[in-house]
Amino acid sequence: MSDTTDELVERARSLDKGSVARLISRFEDRRPHMAEHRAEVLAALDGAGVAPTGTIIGVTGTPGSGKSTLLSRLTVDLLSDDDSRSIAVLAVDPSSQVSGGALLGDRTRMRYLPDERRLFFRSQASESDLGGLGPSTFQVCRLLTRLFDCVMIETVGIGQSEADIRHLADRVYLVLQPLGGDEVQFLKAGIIEVPDAFILNKCDEPSSSASYHQLRASMWLARPFDEEAPPIFRTSALTGEGLDELEADLIARIDTIGGAGLREREPYFFGRWVDDEWGRHGVGVLRERFGGAERFLADHGGYETAQAAFADEVLRQP
Amino acid sequence: MAEQDAPQAHQILDSDGEPSSDRPWIIRTYSGHSSPKASNELYRSNLAKGQTGLSIAFDLPTQCGYDSDDAIARPEIGKVGVPINSLDDMHLLFDEIPVEQMNTSMTINGTAMWLLALYVGVARERGVELSELQGTTQNDLIKEYLARGTYIYPPEHSLRLIAEMYEFCLDEIPKWNASNICSYHLQEAGATPTQELAFALANAISLLDLIKERGEFTDEQFERAVGRISFFVNAGIRFVEEMCKMRAFGELWDEYTRERFGVENEKYRRFRYGVQVNSLGLTEAQPENNAWRILIETLGVTLSRDARARAVQLPAWNEALSLPRPWDQQWSLRFQQILAFETDLLEYPDLFEGSVVVRSKVDELKRDAREEIDRILGMGGVIPAIESGYMKSALVRSMSERIAAINTGDQIVVGLNRWTEGLPSPLLGGEDGGIFTLDESAARDAIASVERTRAERDPERAAAAVEALKAAARDGSSMMEPSIECALARVTTGEWAGALREVFGEYRPATGVDGQQLSLAGDRVDALRERIGRLADQLGHRPRIVVGKPGLDGHSNGAEVIAVSARHVGFDVIYSGIRLSPDEIVLSAVEEDADVIGASVLSGSHLELAEQLFEQLAAHGASDRIDVVVGGIIPPGDVEKLRGMGVQRVFTPSDYELIDIMESIVDLVEARVEGAVAS
Ligand code: B12
Ligand SMILES: Nc1nc2c(ncn2[C@@H]2O[C@H](COP(=O)(O)OP(=O)(O)O)[C@@H](O)[C@H]2O)c(=O)[nH]1
Ligand SMILES: [Mg+2]
Repeated sequence: MSDTTDELVERARSLDKGSVARLISRFEDRRPHMAEHRAEVLAALDGAGVAPTGTIIGVTGTPGSGKSTLLSRLTVDLLSDDDSRSIAVLAVDPSSQVSGGALLGDRTRMRYLPDERRLFFRSQASESDLGGLGPSTFQVCRLLTRLFDCVMIETVGIGQSEADIRHLADRVYLVLQPLGGDEVQFLKAGIIEVPDAFILNKCDEPSSSASYHQLRASMWLARPFDEEAPPIFRTSALTGEGLDELEADLIARIDTIGGAGLREREPYFFGRWVDDEWGRHGVGVLRERFGGAERFLADHGGYETAQAAFADEVLRQP
Repeated sequence: MAEQDAPQAHQILDSDGEPSSDRPWIIRTYSGHSSPKASNELYRSNLAKGQTGLSIAFDLPTQCGYDSDDAIARPEIGKVGVPINSLDDMHLLFDEIPVEQMNTSMTINGTAMWLLALYVGVARERGVELSELQGTTQNDLIKEYLARGTYIYPPEHSLRLIAEMYEFCLDEIPKWNASNICSYHLQEAGATPTQELAFALANAISLLDLIKERGEFTDEQFERAVGRISFFVNAGIRFVEEMCKMRAFGELWDEYTRERFGVENEKYRRFRYGVQVNSLGLTEAQPENNAWRILIETLGVTLSRDARARAVQLPAWNEALSLPRPWDQQWSLRFQQILAFETDLLEYPDLFEGSVVVRSKVDELKRDAREEIDRILGMGGVIPAIESGYMKSALVRSMSERIAAINTGDQIVVGLNRWTEGLPSPLLGGEDGGIFTLDESAARDAIASVERTRAERDPERAAAAVEALKAAARDGSSMMEPSIECALARVTTGEWAGALREVFGEYRPATGVDGQQLSLAGDRVDALRERIGRLADQLGHRPRIVVGKPGLDGHSNGAEVIAVSARHVGFDVIYSGIRLSPDEIVLSAVEEDADVIGASVLSGSHLELAEQLFEQLAAHGASDRIDVVVGGIIPPGDVEKLRGMGVQRVFTPSDYELIDIMESIVDLVEARVEGAVAS
């Protein structure tokens, strides 16, 4: 039980399941004193020269569009494409507003590879009934991008919670299914502006061709200022059709992007954290007294210390 | 004609206009266990007692397409049915039983084509004409995805297998029911009468749509194929409504086959059905009461002549304790015989003809069912309704409502939630405690048998047969003849199913638990949520539970209800459905950094599976981080054994109060947290 941080980090670096899992729990843990533990873990990783170079891929879309099924195939393919590649999947599901509990069911679609350390799967509760990212998804990514080459995040996309994924991921794919009534809603809700690329899944279904043309057409309307229309991949997670192109696109991103951009995203997620913890009051304090998240982070040297400092500041308020 | 000779309304007349009476329905007992030899003895003794048909239970590896020596099969061999690995085993199973005189019903689905091929193999090697064979392969995969769990392939391929069996049987084995559309299992998974009617009929309609679309039949053949569709239905304790449901089934089937499929011949539109009465309502508490429940339920499907079952099989009083012992089966059999042969039931025409009450109830059921059937057909039939999870969610919702009603007392179950005080049951007093125990040597024999078959067969013939099967699967031609050749070539069950797994892939259907509510409220729920909130503060995360179904067991009700309840009180719940290996369940728990694994096992293999769970936990170094609780059909003698292995809590069907169960799990997590703080 009483493993030291260094021991845990050491084992997590070799992707030992239990150790990675327990470190993730530390990054999910929102109790104030955990910031210190996180700083310790990050310091140990930095000390070992482990940088957050993993690429973050966001996969979003309505429930049932096939995100989990797609991910189960994509991960297996990407692992066999390059036997040094490692992938973590983070699947976020909505929580009940009544009890707070969540049913985390995305594993149902995953292929289990019990002896494969290069694939790690973790579920997360969004703590909102609309889906979107959880309050600690960003935190967990700070860890996982240091341990894995690629972090894939599955989220249910309904409405504005999608802005979060845009801020977190290096590339966002929106998964749609043919001609769902939901899909039309989706496009109307402005979601069409979020993704870098579209995946029209279930193209084994007869209605998929019509949907493809419909989607193409609405793209011009919704994103008139794009220099180039974003790509639309047509896939079937059941038959495997179209996965090659999608995988080539993914591999190109994983091999070139490298997630060095997480630092730039800290201000946004710091702001979101303040909002989660203290609501409008906290956001006000951050803006008015400290000139916003970016300034606050710059003034307090590092994310963890900034969290601790901000907590103190807010609590000191009468 | 003299006055006293005039036909009277209470008389049944034969074709000569003479008063007569009906022949009884087929009386069956669902059975099979341990080994082909032991089951063969059981069948012969049941036939000697006056049973008129065979109803074969297969073990789970055979049902899921694995050989007895496959690692996944080991804990389950011979537990809940007979293991059949090859034609050699099938010969043993039917030793000295004249197949040409039998009406043989096989509860087999994912591997139905294979078992039919084996039966045909027995007939061919004995020189029996196929046209003499009579019986049924259950072969309804839709209800497997929804309720029973022994599916293998994706829906589209499963339905192709079914359709090809109809195409083969129609002229080759004209008295064979290639499949049996089942609503029985749907009720066991919580379906209301309307859902039972609608889901089963939508299933049958979708199958006929497919058969028609395939275009293998002429119109005349298609009409006969419609006539081959038979049903397997449930009869619950609300026996008046159940009787009305049976009438509604008959009328609706007549209407759909006429309207949608244009079947002219009235004979082919008849709703032919067999029954097993409800077992879900049979209790572990005061188990002797179950005898009355079984009796009452049987009335629902026998009282009305127009809606009478053609075959009936009954569970036994100790249903919730273990598999029935021979005496338990005999007791149920005797009840059927008394009803059919001592009473005057079979002497009358339909007793409810003209009843205004019955008519009105039947109409209501029909109206509601039609509405639901329209909805499913509107989605494109049962395949899309399975794939989208629509039907499964509806069943989990009904089941959750049922359990909640038992918890609140709105639904009375005598001896369980009302009148629970009682004298000890003498039925439980015997040396065996009223429980069936298996002969442990079964597993060894089954493994030896499959090894012998593989050693003695012509390897080239076997390999060629498997290749031919795969070729047919790929090119779309019928797999039936290639399967028969596989049978004759002594290909094994695992090889047959494995070949098709290679071509078709495997399938995991939706779990249906997403988004389900539980209508349980009140102080205890609030208090529990508060405790879980506090735990979340102490742990740094909401307590997480992995609800797991290890092994091949398909009983999902308990796991679903527990998953829904756990979320209801505030756990984060990881539930990935049935048929996972202990390795997979432990891996989930480790990756999710779960606090508890809750395993649900009703197939009798809890000891082996629990042992494997603990081995895996140790391998991950997680034994002291994760508590294990187990629920299901756990005989009293095994509870201590499980505790000895490290299982913290054991729950059985008598633990019906969900909040009690949840409190008990929260106690556990709290104790561990406090222990950690103290140390
Ligand atoms: C319903 C039922 C079915 C349904 C299942 C529908 C479904 N989707 O679940 C159907 C009709 C499909 C079915 C099929 C079979 N069944 Co069945 N079935 C039953 C029955 C009647 C009730 C089980 C049930 O659902 N109860 C309701 C739920 C809510 O209760 P529960 O599971 O007991 O769970 C409660 C507690 O036990 C506990 N609990 C359970 N699990 C867990 C887990 C955790 C974490 C916790 C905390 C608590 C907990 O809490 C729950 C809430 O109260 C039982 C007999 C009986 N009356 O118990 C036989 C029974 C379990 N079946 C049996 C058999 C043999 C079969 C078959 C294998 C037959 C065959 N040879 O083909 C098939 C195949 C199924 C398969 N693929 O595995 C045997 C098992 C014998 C044994 N163990 O030795 C039984 C005991 C009947 C008998 N006497 O023969 N069955
Ligand atoms: N026909 C078809 N069905 C698919 C495809 N991808 C996923 N599905 C099915 O769609 C349902 C929902 O898939 P899931 O991956 O759970 O969706 P998610 O909610 O977006 O994660 C499941 O029944 C899948 O089998 C596909 O490409 N074609
Ligand atoms: Mg998903």
